[in-house]
Amino acid sequence: MTSVDPQLELKNVTKRFGGVAAVDDVTFAIGKGEILGVIGPNGAGKTTLLNCISGVYRLDGGDVRWQGESIAGLAPFRVARLGIGRTFQIVKPFTSMTVRENVVAGALFGSDEDRPRLGAAFGRADGVLELVGLRSKADLPVSAMTIPDRKRLEVARAVATRPKLLLLDEVMAGLNPVEIDDALEMVRAVHQSGVTVVLIEHVMRVIVGVCARVVVLDVGRMLADGPPDVVLRDERVIQAYLGERYARRLRGS
Amino acid sequence: MIGMPASRIWNRVFTALAMAVLAYAVLAPLSSLDALQSLGMPLLTDKLWFRLATITAMFVVMASAWNIIGGLTGYAAFGNVAFFGIGAYTVGMLITKARWPFLLALPLAPAAAAVFAVLIGLPLLRLRGHYFAVASLGVGVAVGELVQNVDFRGEPLFGGASGLFLPILAVPNRDLYFFYLMLAAAAVSIGVTWAVLRSRFGYGLIAIRENEEAAAVIGVNTTAYKVAAFALAATLTGLAGGVFAQWNVFVDQENSFPIGYNVEMILMALLGGTGTVFGPAAGAVVLQLLIQFLSGSLPITLQIPFVPDDAMPVLAQVVLGVLLMLVVVFAPRGVIDFFGGRSTLSIAYLRRSLRETSV
Repeated sequence: MTSVDPQLELKNVTKRFGGVAAVDDVTFAIGKGEILGVIGPNGAGKTTLLNCISGVYRLDGGDVRWQGESIAGLAPFRVARLGIGRTFQIVKPFTSMTVRENVVAGALFGSDEDRPRLGAAFGRADGVLELVGLRSKADLPVSAMTIPDRKRLEVARAVATRPKLLLLDEVMAGLNPVEIDDALEMVRAVHQSGVTVVLIEHVMRVIVGVCARVVVLDVGRMLADGPPDVVLRDERVIQAYLGERYARRLRGS
Repeated sequence: MIGMPASRIWNRVFTALAMAVLAYAVLAPLSSLDALQSLGMPLLTDKLWFRLATITAMFVVMASAWNIIGGLTGYAAFGNVAFFGIGAYTVGMLITKARWPFLLALPLAPAAAAVFAVLIGLPLLRLRGHYFAVASLGVGVAVGELVQNVDFRGEPLFGGASGLFLPILAVPNRDLYFFYLMLAAAAVSIGVTWAVLRSRFGYGLIAIRENEEAAAVIGVNTTAYKVAAFALAATLTGLAGGVFAQWNVFVDQENSFPIGYNVEMILMALLGGTGTVFGPAAGAVVLQLLIQFLSGSLPITLQIPFVPDDAMPVLAQVVLGVLLMLVVVFAPRGVIDFFGGRSTLSIAYLRRSLRETSV
């Protein structure tokens, strides 16, 4: 399933906490311009995998390669400067700043390429706010924002860092169906602006809607890698999500 | 600018008031110039005025400098007095031992403090919250003790317990000279804060204060930024120490490393509003006047029944402690909160609740 031009390659990535392998020997690659879904039940190691890529955790084994070069062991800020942006599942806004200032902070740092000066950063920020649909709320303090809007802001700040690859950690979690549709629209817009996207999600529906390819994790191991309609019919995936008994019943019917 | 605007009317009243006081403070000393005196200009200042104004300017520097690491970066440094002492002793040593002229020695005071800040910042700034506060306090105390007690070939290296006596600087209008020198340091401190808040560097520091992990993943080199902020605070504080040494003519552990300064500079920044440009300076002026008033150094003194005069300095410390508690509990962002209505004790909050409850 790997495309011709792999941008990010994970090779036997392993991360242990004590005796438990939270991510165990995971290998796959992401092609430039792809939009990849990473799904799995609670505790599957999705966020740990993301932390391994963005430099928050050090690997216990394996390698992460970005455009052909190893980035394993780099500090998070160095990974960001190479053009890999990320969001946090539990949003981490800069609360004393306004919405616009949060995004300006993202624009001022991030990728080493094309770093704007302070004045230009404000212009860039407004463009990003437009893209994620927060333009009208630019001058609000973060404290006045709803949860869906805070998730949008989290994405906006990451997009402002001019990433080539954006890792989105459960940006739909805790949203209602209508809000999820809005958020999906935003993710599509970001992807269409030319960014490779990795979408980590718990909710299946989300992935099926936007991703052409899905990677499934369960207790740290990779279960499946393929188009959503194939992967979601995979018996091991059904078992992991719904339990063995349900899988057997499904087989029986 | 990053931060919330306070209530507009109050803003204007206070700006006008502050400008008037500032204009007086900056211009009044000129009346002591011989040329103006001979023209019959009344003397607007005296020895006491100069002493008070110079000390106040010195605290403006220290509170503004603390604001850069404590207010903007969010690292509660409790040992900044070490930078003051290092600045003072750098000038003291260069003048007494190496016979350098004052103006040549002065630039090395901030430089020495900055180098020291980088050296201790690299390990200490890995600590967060209370751990950093306690560790920095430890450094502040330790440096003072070392300076007093380090011997070299049986002789105290830095003057020991008897301190260093500097020759009096031969300049006309010495009081005026040191007042303007300290005032310039204060202006530089405020200017630096202003510039930092309008720069990439400032955005990085505030991002670190708000959420260090999020700052790192948007690409802020958090270690470098924290150490730079610490060194910048040390530079300004060291400059104040350097000017102090020559102004005071005598430096020892007690006057160069007073632990109380740590509390005072933080309280000033908190009182005025951390993270703002003018807050710490305003806090320094108000609190320094209060300290001098309570300790009986001002012409107007306070008489409290049953409290003997010599107990007043102690009372000043008690008042500072109580004030610190009140500020932290009711207006954690400083008086800015008080006028912006974000504290439940604030004037704006009171007005708002009166309006909302009236029928």
